Amino acid sequence: MNNKSTLPFKKWWLKWRFHLNILLVLIPLGLMPSYLKDAALFRGDTGLGEREIGLVKVGPWSITLAELRDDIPQQDGPAGYLKSINAALCLACEDQVKATYLRLGKPRNIRTAGHIFFGSPYRMGTSISIPEKTQSDALVWITMEGWDGSLHQASLPLTQVSPKTVAWLEKRGTAK
Amino acid sequence: MSKPNRSKLWFLVHSWLALPVWFFLLIICVTGTLATVSQEIVWLANPEIRASQPDADAPRLSYSVVMERLKQQVPDIFVQSLHRPDEDHFALNARVSYPDGRTLTVYVNPYTGVIQGESPTFNFSQFTRALHGWWLMPFTNGYSWGWYLVSFMAIPMLASLITGLVVYKRFWRGFLRPRLRFNRGARVFWGDFHRLSGIWSIWFIAVISITGIWFLIQAVLGDNQVTISTEGIPTFIAREDIPLTDGSAAKQISLDQAIVVAKQSLPNLNPSFISLPGNAYSPILIYGRGWYPLMGQSALINPYNGAVEKTRSLSDRSALEFVTESMRPLHTGDFGGLWVKLIWFFFGLILSFMVLSGMLIWTKRTVQTSLALTQKHAKKAHITPILSAVKGASHE
Amino acid sequence: MRKTIITIACCVGSSFFSSAWAHNPICECNAVTQTEIECIGGFSDGSTAPGVTLDVIGYDEETLLAGQLDTNSRLRFQRPEQEFYILFDAGPGHVVEIDHAEIETP
Repeated sequence: MNNKSTLPFKKWWLKWRFHLNILLVLIPLGLMPSYLKDAALFRGDTGLGEREIGLVKVGPWSITLAELRDDIPQQDGPAGYLKSINAALCLACEDQVKATYLRLGKPRNIRTAGHIFFGSPYRMGTSISIPEKTQSDALVWITMEGWDGSLHQASLPLTQVSPKTVAWLEKRGTAK
Repeated sequence: MSKPNRSKLWFLVHSWLALPVWFFLLIICVTGTLATVSQEIVWLANPEIRASQPDADAPRLSYSVVMERLKQQVPDIFVQSLHRPDEDHFALNARVSYPDGRTLTVYVNPYTGVIQGESPTFNFSQFTRALHGWWLMPFTNGYSWGWYLVSFMAIPMLASLITGLVVYKRFWRGFLRPRLRFNRGARVFWGDFHRLSGIWSIWFIAVISITGIWFLIQAVLGDNQVTISTEGIPTFIAREDIPLTDGSAAKQISLDQAIVVAKQSLPNLNPSFISLPGNAYSPILIYGRGWYPLMGQSALINPYNGAVEKTRSLSDRSALEFVTESMRPLHTGDFGGLWVKLIWFFFGLILSFMVLSGMLIWTKRTVQTSLALTQKHAKKAHITPILSAVKGASHE
Repeated sequence: MRKTIITIACCVGSSFFSSAWAHNPICECNAVTQTEIECIGGFSDGSTAPGVTLDVIGYDEETLLAGQLDTNSRLRFQRPEQEFYILFDAGPGHVVEIDHAEIETP
């Protein structure tokens, strides 16, 4: 207990701790707007995602894609970097499409079609992995599986799907 | 150290534990108290969330019939899940998706299947939980910083409980001789209040702080990719097991059929949550509680042929899981219907007032007494260092 | 999506869903000797993957080895002569592919 009040940290703490309290209390006040914005985003009130990618024709069907977050990929521990993508099936084809997948690079077969979408046909989501050595000219492949076993595919450049991801890859020096 | 000095030390530790962030702790306790009954508050304010019975002996509709009614009202509606709250006075919560992409929770009358209203963007229940649980801070990469901040406070709370009981000499006597003096001034009143409510809340404070510490551990484990789960690998329906069709979606069994199948494996299952398949390869999830109020059982059913793909009953949990999965309901008090919630609410209020009274006592007693002591006994060596610390604090 | 799942988990009062969003498949393969490769599979929440299919497939799509991870979530096998890829298959859309070029010989 001796001389504790002379320690610089202790002095600082004693002087500022109530202000810290107020600061702590201000955090949720400051976060209210983004909380409400996120609530609207997850409800689909503000669109399919923070950034719409656009309508893509996949064989006889079509799909609208959007980035959930207009941001770089997030790391999920050892699973690596993941990018969340939302999609909406064309209303007419919703009954015919069994499953939709996304993959960086052309899939070899149906088993390697990529990451499957979960959710309702009007708003479904998936996360595609972005390996760190992905190149800027990488293509994102959409595979759609029909209930009758048919397969249709389309691709679009990663720069169109997520420009911020490409910029991030280039900045890391892994992409060229 | 001599005995008087040791108790003084315990007392100082007790006083200082909550003090530096008492306001933060107070708001956590108040928001938590509110969150316990947040659904009830919404029920009072919003008639759409009520399960109004059309007449006295109208039966509750089965899940399949509810699905049919939903599809009749909105033909293209896509239902993701149905949730029946614990208390019968609440309407069903259906998580649905509309063709325009909006995906939200709607309130469905369990007797008529009518969609009574939509859960608003600012959902009061979710808001109080988010505010209390993670201080509204986002989950961007793993657990939110707010989660860590709030759950960390459980440690000083538990320490306050322990040190409080140490400094309150022979606290058990307070049960037989309760004392709450109104006529001796605010300091005495709050002191009596703090002690009296403290001893009656021992169990509650222990439950809240220990379960709060578990939330902290849970976040640390989660963010370090350590799991104690014995759930096993995710269940999917194999591609070759799904019938190929002429082009339109394969037929799925009805929810009522799925429930019958699930109950064959889990006879005690009382389904309260049904999640429809998230894609063509996912099973139907049926979850509900049996006799044990703190934990449920679940069955995963193949939507095409009604086979039970997997079940998870109480006995499937490891001993550790049994303990840890019981933590959340014990913290929130939503395991036993309205009366348990009201008990949690009442003690939550008491706890909030304890934090408040603790601060009021500290201000009135510790500072004033210490200042008085300074003037009288400035030269007593063993008091001076404590006093200088207190004096520094009293400059606030 | 994540927040929704967490909110649902709160409503249901179970931790059933809290692992759903951090349950992405993981697989790591290393050459343990000149001729053998060992793969370890799992999920990003830290859980293991015993019994999950692990196939070694040639570039010509011929399955060279139809394997399964053991109780330790591992599989050890002889490195094929031809070009191949490894497929950790926990279900449709829940896979990890590893190309032979990513596995360096020691």
